[in-house]
Amino acid sequence: MSPFKVLVVDDERDFLESLVRRLQRRSVDAAGVTSGEAALEHLKVHKADVVVLDVKMPGMNGIEALRHIKQHYPEVEVILLTGHASVESGVEGLALEAFDYLIKPVKLDELIERIMEAFDRRKVVGELTGSPPPDQS
Amino acid sequence: MTRPYANLSRRMTIVALLVALLPLNGLGFSLYYYYNYANTQALKEELRIRALNRASAIELFLAERTALLEVLAHGARLTQLSNESELANLLSIMNRRSWSFVDLGIIDKEGRHRAYVGPYLLKEQKYLDAPWFQQAMQKGVYTSDVFLGYRQVPHFVIAAKHENGSDSWVLRATIDSDVFNRLVRTAQVGKSGDAYILDRQGRLQTPSRLGGKVLDPAPVELGSVAPGSSVVERTTADGRQVLTAFSWICGGKWLLVIDQDPKEILGPLNLARNVELAVLALASLFVVVAVFILVRLFIRQLQRNDEERAAIDAQLAHSARLVSLGRMAAGVAHEINNPLAAISELAGEVQDILVPSELAKLEEGEVVGENLERIQNQVERAREVTHRMLKFARRMEPHLEGIDINDVLRESYSFIEKEALFNNVKVQLDLSPNLPVIKSDRAQLQQVFLNLMDNALDAVGQGGRVRVTSRADGSWLTVKVNDSGPGVPADLAGRIFDPFFTTKDPGQGTGLGLSISHSITQRLGGSLELENHPGQGATFVVRLPNSPPDTP
Repeated sequence: MSPFKVLVVDDERDFLESLVRRLQRRSVDAAGVTSGEAALEHLKVHKADVVVLDVKMPGMNGIEALRHIKQHYPEVEVILLTGHASVESGVEGLALEAFDYLIKPVKLDELIERIMEAFDRRKVVGELTGSPPPDQS
Repeated sequence: MTRPYANLSRRMTIVALLVALLPLNGLGFSLYYYYNYANTQALKEELRIRALNRASAIELFLAERTALLEVLAHGARLTQLSNESELANLLSIMNRRSWSFVDLGIIDKEGRHRAYVGPYLLKEQKYLDAPWFQQAMQKGVYTSDVFLGYRQVPHFVIAAKHENGSDSWVLRATIDSDVFNRLVRTAQVGKSGDAYILDRQGRLQTPSRLGGKVLDPAPVELGSVAPGSSVVERTTADGRQVLTAFSWICGGKWLLVIDQDPKEILGPLNLARNVELAVLALASLFVVVAVFILVRLFIRQLQRNDEERAAIDAQLAHSARLVSLGRMAAGVAHEINNPLAAISELAGEVQDILVPSELAKLEEGEVVGENLERIQNQVERAREVTHRMLKFARRMEPHLEGIDINDVLRESYSFIEKEALFNNVKVQLDLSPNLPVIKSDRAQLQQVFLNLMDNALDAVGQGGRVRVTSRADGSWLTVKVNDSGPGVPADLAGRIFDPFFTTKDPGQGTGLGLSISHSITQRLGGSLELENHPGQGATFVVRLPNSPPDTP
């Protein structure tokens, strides 16, 4: 298993389940939930280093979820992944310190690359702030 | 000029003419009438004064003669004057100083002409019934109206009575009509004037130059003549407009009448009035010409403004259409991207499971593996379309930096250089060496130029020619991409900037390139236009504002 944990949040179940399984098959420690609320619940119990977050979801949308995550778990890196490239969500997401903003569909290899980059930054930030990733402690 | 402009032009012309001409002509015509009135009043007054003067002169003439006869009648005795040689002597003495007496006679109280000297045979005539005799006997002295008498010649007489107890007689003299008429005639002025005297019955007492002989009825209504002296405007029997002065003389016994043609006297005075009228006409003409010119200029400017506004409106409508299409494209892309992502992951997972060693175990594993690969390829193809649609829809704030357009053009050219070489297309870069650095978005401009060059290469085909020019022109930078291709058919030229419009074969173009380029240039404060010459190639013109990089 990878030295980092990934949480995928998407209301599209077909996409979510398949993606999580594929990540796991590539030895990425991945979990999936289908809503923003569920993601926050998940983070309370299980730690995550990188969250892959859909922007457009029923209930709490991705931007709101991002705001909560950054508020409670500032060390967690978030990659926004959406089908819709609206300027507002992109700009707002980056302003809220999302690591990246990707548009679906994205190739799995590319996504994993971005996740690793995000984890790299998390590691650097963690060392600087004295909050290293859990597996290295 | 179209109808609404013609209507407006007419209304403006009418209002402007009314506003300008009404006061001007009001002033002009009131001056005109004032001139007329003042001149006529002055003339009337002058005429009245003359009538008064002449009336005094005539009264004086008659009063002197009446006084003379009165003195003679009083001082002489009948026996003395009955002697005709004495009487003739007296008449010649009286006339020695041109006293204008024609004859002299003595009439006793029975009305018998006792003595007479003069040109007529009137001795022993009876005058008991003659009005002048009766009046003289009654009043002492009397001046008669003109009458024919025994001599059958119009004349008038002055009679003075001698009274001494029961002895009374009358001394009578006839006034020389020629002298008297000449005296009256002196009141006449000008070639067309007239002067004469009427009695109370309206008969001429002196001849009228134009109105008739003595004792003819005069063409004047006496009833309406005011007492004293007065002036009226009236029409003569032969239809002329004249001013007429009246002055009663000898206590209302006679009326002195002076006719005057006002035109003859007012002529020179009216010159000023006519000059004023001419100036007025000239000023009015100037006003009319000025109004027409001004209205025409105004309407032309208005029309030009309206046309400009209509063009801007059309441009705005076009932009609004692009924006709404962009939103729609974004929505569509989103709806498609989600299932695409699911398809890609689902197929990918199957690929993960069916690794080549697993596929080999399947009966038709090769087909399965190939189809999974094709599914991914189709997803990739659809992704390209939706991502391009999203790019079009994106309304990101341009990232502005100071850039050299020539740099961007050379860089863009480097991307297509290989393709141009391969297709044997000659690309000529004609770049102005002194372009200013402008503030714009490098990446977006590159997208525009690349798109235009790409299109040009597609348009010219093998062995064509593409020419790229850059110029600084006042406040604008202009980049032109000209190709030697067939140009854009005229009926399609209006639609080439619409999203999804393409003339390329299916699968070769998305129809978004020019649309995106168009919205990019607009967002950067510039424009993208087509200069089309069907059959002679197309020229796409990019205009960018030439703003110094330090302006916000």
